[in-house]
Amino acid sequence: MALALSVGLILMFDLRLLRLAFRSEPASRIMQQFVPLSLPGFAIMFASGLLLFIAQAEKAYQNTFFRFKLAFLVLAGINAAFYQVKFYPKMADWDNSDSVPRGAQLSGLLSLILWAGIIALGRTMAYEL
Amino acid sequence: MSLQHLWELSYDSKTIDILRNAKYAIPLIQSLHLFGLTLVLGTTVIFNLRLLGFGMRKITMPVLDKQLWRVAIGGLLLSIVTGALVFIPDPARYAANTAFKTKLVLLSLAILFQFTIFRRAVRSDVPPLGPRNIIIAATSLTLWFSVGWAGRAIAFLG
Repeated sequence: MALALSVGLILMFDLRLLRLAFRSEPASRIMQQFVPLSLPGFAIMFASGLLLFIAQAEKAYQNTFFRFKLAFLVLAGINAAFYQVKFYPKMADWDNSDSVPRGAQLSGLLSLILWAGIIALGRTMAYEL
Repeated sequence: MSLQHLWELSYDSKTIDILRNAKYAIPLIQSLHLFGLTLVLGTTVIFNLRLLGFGMRKITMPVLDKQLWRVAIGGLLLSIVTGALVFIPDPARYAANTAFKTKLVLLSLAILFQFTIFRRAVRSDVPPLGPRNIIIAATSLTLWFSVGWAGRAIAFLG
């Protein structure tokens, strides 16, 4: 459930950055409307994920897919932080035009790939436990 | 032809053996299944929050409908195709699973609701927070998340 709320909403903003959806809406509006709603989703995800981890911490820690999943989560965090610092302050410049700076597009694509990877790694790790 | 005969076709098939024997085929397909589900449930959450008037008031319903409907349908198609690919290699196991049967019923109801009452509500730009919208949003969220939970329960009910 939280997966839909967190990743589902982030993906919509990624799609806007890639100009695949909501092209008629300013990117900052999509960000402002969708991204805050994703935060409770992430909180539930981390809390429930932590509980699952505690239940079999040693096995999970030794699982290659789990390690990659954690690494991907860190990368997704860095990517989001990078976007906040580098592109967010200047969003007003390109907000209403149909174009999105290359770097911001790349950040959106990276986010899309990382989150899809996190889902895949999480699902696959269960087959190795 | 009974269902058992139909299942035999799968268990006898050399082509489907590829899916059964490849170590990461099923996990990979399930990952895509979850990705499709994320798109369906994610858009469902957005539509329903908007119907209830929680945030996103600056984005009108027709805009949401135009942009998100295809994402929802794309996610649904991906989920159905990958779901079928998980089912086909081991049909007898799933057909005997209570959670799976429950899921199929809930999924049918959710799809039916999505394409009728829900779509009509999403397309008409009615003011939010009416009792009608609350009932529609509650029904939609309950149905879709029940589908998700029933799907997760398949693995636990053996």
